[in-house]
Amino acid sequence: MNAALASAAVVVRRTIAASAEELFDAWLDPEALATWMRPGTIRSTVAKVEPREGGSYEITMFGQAGPIVHKGVYRRIDRPRRLVFTWASPGTELRDTLVTVDFLPVDRLTEVIVTHEQLPESARLSHSNGWTRGLEHLDQACTQGLLKRTPRSQQNSI
Amino acid sequence: MGEYQSARLDEVFNALCDPTRRAILARLTDSDARVTEVASAFPISLNSTSKHIRMLERAGLVRRTIAGRDHVLSLNAAPLAEAQVWIEQYRRFWEGRLAALEHYVTNKRRKRK
Repeated sequence: MNAALASAAVVVRRTIAASAEELFDAWLDPEALATWMRPGTIRSTVAKVEPREGGSYEITMFGQAGPIVHKGVYRRIDRPRRLVFTWASPGTELRDTLVTVDFLPVDRLTEVIVTHEQLPESARLSHSNGWTRGLEHLDQACTQGLLKRTPRSQQNSI
Repeated sequence: MGEYQSARLDEVFNALCDPTRRAILARLTDSDARVTEVASAFPISLNSTSKHIRMLERAGLVRRTIAGRDHVLSLNAAPLAEAQVWIEQYRRFWEGRLAALEHYVTNKRRKRK
């Protein structure tokens, strides 16, 4: 079934009143990441980064169900325009996916565009028991709060 | 993804974020089952099992066929297409993170002043 998944991509944009440099740096600073890479039910986040192309990062989110590790390698660091890194986590079945973050200055604001896509070489998922595995992932996503409707105020209040 | 699909997906996720409902779906992956059979498999009342089943039906995850007195439930996996789930999960994740990024830079700026 996974032609669809292989080409799956998520694009999310947000225009923020800050400079591209300021926003760009928040992606590579462990202290900044610990603050904003903390979804609803996560109590704390610890980030380790090697901010150079080819360098790796590890973001561990401590939730009720235990630590959730996200890791990858920086493929491109083009400050303050574009950041490209691989992303593997339980949510990607520990396979590498690709995240591209573009920073577009618009007047005094910056539009941040996150494109998260599957990589062709890693989109091959095992489906021997797809349903049961799917339900397990959903359980994890539910406990992480990823799938619950979160009021906007709550999302912002971290 | 259109508005309709997105609203529908919310229903799917709400239906799935409950262990009893997931257990009902897991039961139906084995075979179709009568409502009474499903109810007897869980330590909760027929009434609350029925509520869970109705939520699953509304989300389109379960279909009910009525044959005489028997209400037979079957699984409909289509709303859960894996790509859709993946996309929706990460769309929410990144929307939340960008909101938090904005909050972070705004706060930092306020502190500097």
